[in-house]
Amino acid sequence: MIAEYGQLALTFALCISLALAIVPLYGSFKGHQTALQLGNPLSYALFLLTAFSFWALSYAFWSNDFTVVYVATNSNSLLPWYYRLTAVWGGHEGSMLLWLLTLSGWIAAVALFSRSLPLQFQGRILGVMGLIAVGFYAFVLFMSNPFMRSLPYFPVDGRDLNPLLQDFGMIIHPPMLYMGYVGFAVSFAFAIAALMGGKFDSTWARWARPWTLAAWMFLTLGIMLGSWWAYAELGWGGWWFWDPVENASFMPWLVGTALIHSLAVTEKRGTFKSWTVLLAIAAFSLSLLGAFLVRSGVLVSVHSFAADPDRGLYLLAFLLVVVGGSLLLYALRMHSVRSQARYELFSREVLLWGNNIFLLTATLVVLLGTLFPLVHKELGLGSISIGEPFFNQLFYYLVIPFSLLLGLGPWVRWKQQHVQPLLKPMSLVAIATLILALGTLAATQSVQANLALLGLLLGAWVGSSAIFELLQRLQQFGSVKQGLTKLNASHFGMTLAHIGFAVLVVGVAMTKTYSVETQVRMKAGDQVELAGYQFRLVEVYPLNGPNYTGEAAELDVSYQGDYVTHLHAEKRFYTVQRTVMTEAAVHARLSRDLYVALGESLSNDSWALSLYVKPFVRWIWLGGLLMALGGFIALCDKRYRRAAPNKVTAKQQEPADA
Amino acid sequence: MRKLAFFIPFALFISLSVFLFHGLFSNPMERESSVLNQPLPAFALPDLQQPEKIWTPDSIKGKPMLLNVWGTWCVTCNAELAYLTELREQGVMIVGLYYQQPADAAFGEVFNLAALQQEVALKLEQQGNPYQWNILDKDRTLIFDLGVTGAPETFLIDAQGVIRYHHIGDINPQVWQQKLAAAYQSLQE
Repeated sequence: MIAEYGQLALTFALCISLALAIVPLYGSFKGHQTALQLGNPLSYALFLLTAFSFWALSYAFWSNDFTVVYVATNSNSLLPWYYRLTAVWGGHEGSMLLWLLTLSGWIAAVALFSRSLPLQFQGRILGVMGLIAVGFYAFVLFMSNPFMRSLPYFPVDGRDLNPLLQDFGMIIHPPMLYMGYVGFAVSFAFAIAALMGGKFDSTWARWARPWTLAAWMFLTLGIMLGSWWAYAELGWGGWWFWDPVENASFMPWLVGTALIHSLAVTEKRGTFKSWTVLLAIAAFSLSLLGAFLVRSGVLVSVHSFAADPDRGLYLLAFLLVVVGGSLLLYALRMHSVRSQARYELFSREVLLWGNNIFLLTATLVVLLGTLFPLVHKELGLGSISIGEPFFNQLFYYLVIPFSLLLGLGPWVRWKQQHVQPLLKPMSLVAIATLILALGTLAATQSVQANLALLGLLLGAWVGSSAIFELLQRLQQFGSVKQGLTKLNASHFGMTLAHIGFAVLVVGVAMTKTYSVETQVRMKAGDQVELAGYQFRLVEVYPLNGPNYTGEAAELDVSYQGDYVTHLHAEKRFYTVQRTVMTEAAVHARLSRDLYVALGESLSNDSWALSLYVKPFVRWIWLGGLLMALGGFIALCDKRYRRAAPNKVTAKQQEPADA
Repeated sequence: MRKLAFFIPFALFISLSVFLFHGLFSNPMERESSVLNQPLPAFALPDLQQPEKIWTPDSIKGKPMLLNVWGTWCVTCNAELAYLTELREQGVMIVGLYYQQPADAAFGEVFNLAALQQEVALKLEQQGNPYQWNILDKDRTLIFDLGVTGAPETFLIDAQGVIRYHHIGDINPQVWQQKLAAAYQSLQE
């Protein structure tokens, strides 16, 4: 019965989303106060119903209810309870339900936290989000219902969760990622509401900023976790593959990053208006495009769900309505808006414009690389594939000027900056950069003109510039101590996120340059040396897990004779799905990872092993974490919690006055 | 003019949608073979069992034939041996192109022709021998030129030595009836 209740709740939720899509929007155009006020309770109801529905599906997994088709395909009675619960989003239908849960969660949050906004504007935002919700709720109910039963003939046991997904990463990676994807729906709704109203003062940008930051923070975390998970679980020692679906998450992130910066310009200086609206539309459109690419089977990817052209067709139609509609609205409304603000060639506006250009170019590179094989084939030119070298090379060229600008950006004032006052601090930063970069390289590797040196220089430039700028800003309050209490959180957040980027660049460059790996054949007792580390295979013995069997290898690692660590690598055979999985052994330090994956069994008791030493690979995820943390700190800024000034409402001359 | 510029994002999106729509109805895994309707690439490779004998494209002319890429290490190839043998008994000429996997020196592997010959002979004795003869492509040069992505793959070659069909995957009664039989019959005439 529980599953039926879940489906019923979802059906009610669809009706509520229809009401949410119609009532507040009607109210906003007719000036109908009550209709506008209905937006809030409708949003809360939508969230509660969806949460109940999600609980019902989770309960079906928890209680091993294999009469539900989706449970039977994605779970097994032998699966540990925590993976049974995460298996809820292990397939297409359930992950769509998670998508709905996050969407309704964001809608409820908007309703809760934007009560201080003019009622008319709030109604439009909720209405636009309601429209998006209708599309997704209908998609889940009519085309991918997770509550479908297989009665009267149901399997005794389930087909088990894909072993790749039986990992800690699965517990948090998808929820974080979806929070990010769907979160951009809020920025999108703000932009569309502004387009509907036709008023483009800086207020909508100020309201949209914390939401965009929150979505961006979640997406950053989600992508970072995904990268870390792939590294730990796939046994390949890599952390980014330029897989179409990775790219699908990376594009909204790039545009979202551009949007955060562009929103700042629009809010503070009242310029870049049409550009910011376009970015807000683009960020969510790319999220939707990502959902389409993953769920339609248009591209080949490890992430793809079972391909179904009907679902693809629905999502494409939805994409056309939402993205096409909003871009059309944009074209019709936006051309009349002109910016008044003036600024000189050397000013923060221009530098942020540069930031946007590079981020957008990067997005274009990813988009082209991802979709070009498809376009090429559909034009009848044959099949091609675009891989790592293409992306890597273009990103090298983009990161260099981008980082140089990023180091300069925070120092430059709005409107106009004279070169003279910057000469001293910038030369200090340059000297610090040289010392830091060469020092690190000399201490860990050897100084050579290579990618690592370039990465260290860029990273040190961005990082030391961010720190010096913060110190200088703090001193403006009298003393650093006083400044710490007075400087706003946004500034700390920005500095931290920029340092995060620096850390990431250093991590990528060092790992790319100095990683070493080897594939070896080893017997118990054998010893292999790699980058100064001695790996000794102690023993290999059979394993017996709840839903898998396999082998485990124990290794001792020493460095120049000193014992470093003990490593435990596994190779599992999941009996229900009949798949082999590697559980790599990783010994992580800030300066390097030791990584061992157990391969196949060879003749006479020997085993194939992959050994890796990867310097600075942790820095990649540390950088991502710092960026997300920076986003969080900026989000805590007091001014986002201040009530909206009343003059805005008065100016709009609508009866809507909260 | 300025007004039109604001339509650019919309126009770009619509043209992208057209491709996405088309993409829905084609299989991204599908690859078109680049050797189709081309004569066999030049090669001179030894026979597997009698290495002093050298085969060239000229040896695969005169009659329509199947060129079957296989290896004893490949499970699917072994599974199709029985049906291919049946086809041979029906009069279909099949030539084997033996896919030798690279010997990995790091694992102490060396290429041993005698052992390979023995292994192949034993396998064909057990499972049935569909082949007129086997070409040994030790360094996988012909396999590379043919654009082979894995084993088994089968090429249908007409009497003039031109490749007429490239099949990826195994050949079973269903595949033969649906994809290859008609083409083979038409070449016979």
